[in-house]
Amino acid sequence: MKTPKLPPTAAAILAAAATIGLLAAQQGPETIDLEAFPAQSIDEVVVPVPSEVFVVLDKLGNPNWRRELRGSLGKQTTNRAQVALLLGTVIAEGFVAVEAEDPERVKEIGRRVLSLSKAINVEKAVLERANSITDKAEAKDWQAVRKEFDGALQDVKGAMQELGDDELAQLVSVGGWIRGTEVLTSIVNKTFTADGAELLHQPALLEFFSDKLSGLSNRRLANDALVLDIRRMLDRIEPLIGDGDGAGITPEGVKRIHRLTGEMVGKITLQGT
Amino acid sequence: MKKLLAAALLLAAGTAAWAYVDDALSFAYEAATPYVKRGFNVREDAWGGDLGVQDKQAVKAQLFKGNEYWFCLGTDVKRAVLSVNVYDSKGQLVNAEATRPGQLTAVRIAPQRTGTYYAIVTILKSPEERTGWALVYAYKAK
Repeated sequence: MKTPKLPPTAAAILAAAATIGLLAAQQGPETIDLEAFPAQSIDEVVVPVPSEVFVVLDKLGNPNWRRELRGSLGKQTTNRAQVALLLGTVIAEGFVAVEAEDPERVKEIGRRVLSLSKAINVEKAVLERANSITDKAEAKDWQAVRKEFDGALQDVKGAMQELGDDELAQLVSVGGWIRGTEVLTSIVNKTFTADGAELLHQPALLEFFSDKLSGLSNRRLANDALVLDIRRMLDRIEPLIGDGDGAGITPEGVKRIHRLTGEMVGKITLQGT
Repeated sequence: MKKLLAAALLLAAGTAAWAYVDDALSFAYEAATPYVKRGFNVREDAWGGDLGVQDKQAVKAQLFKGNEYWFCLGTDVKRAVLSVNVYDSKGQLVNAEATRPGQLTAVRIAPQRTGTYYAIVTILKSPEERTGWALVYAYKAK
């Protein structure tokens, strides 16, 4: 997390804004034609962190987060694609452990993030984060731990990109999304509501992941069995996430998505479901 | 247009291009500071780039009903005036609250539906031909 520091100019602007009451509506048009934007003028979607969804679930009910924690964080191989995907699932598990307010589990996950990062040569990038996760978990500063997991995800991806491993970095995001969706569907399944199910309406993310995985230039990654399985899984999930407004997500659909993501997490962690 | 993570690579390459993006990012974080104090979590991921005057950039975001979001935009270019407005996937404006366009500006969204949204960044005025900008977002449950 970058530490905010107030540049003098920014301080002056904020002070002026506060003084003369600038909180007023901007002048954006009420409607725009999104089709008018050329493709190069539309940036890629930023993948949400699991807690963006989990905090909503907390408000919708009273999930038993401890029951959502996996018994094991999974096994790693020498396959870099599997390690990247596993790292994503482990970071997502960190967000679940934060919701469960389980300091020992959080610390274990912090250590595992470090060991997995070492396996793909980005250990240095997350060493400080891992230590901070441990310190803040001991202090039970859950909001700070959540930020550290968010930061760890960005640091790992940034370090991979610096090493020229952009495509591997995407797999970390994909792994995190799959585990996050498995947990989301587990909770929504337990007490189905339309509001809960609507959280699964993520067409831009599905499209983003599908495009990234189908466009992998590294042939080894493109042909990796896990990657191929994930592509098939995304294709199966796409019709289940509701219509244009997110309506029409059924209990059966949620169960199906849970089964698909759960099976995939089992494959990634080499543990079955 | 690349995200800021990609811009970080420019830093590694030692190019001057990073400097303005980095400066813009610090201003975007500054724009988010008031909302951090209100309990919002600022995402570490961000978007950014540079645009000419009256140019627009759309950035796509997955937002969840039940959360509130502040999209916070900043530039290091003095006297530049930037705006950010957020639209749903049908092109309808969904701003719930906004600060005035300026060097720092922000807009609050309380999505009525979970789905895809578009934050439109516009450089309204600038003394520079190209203006570096950065956009971050913060979230919390309503």
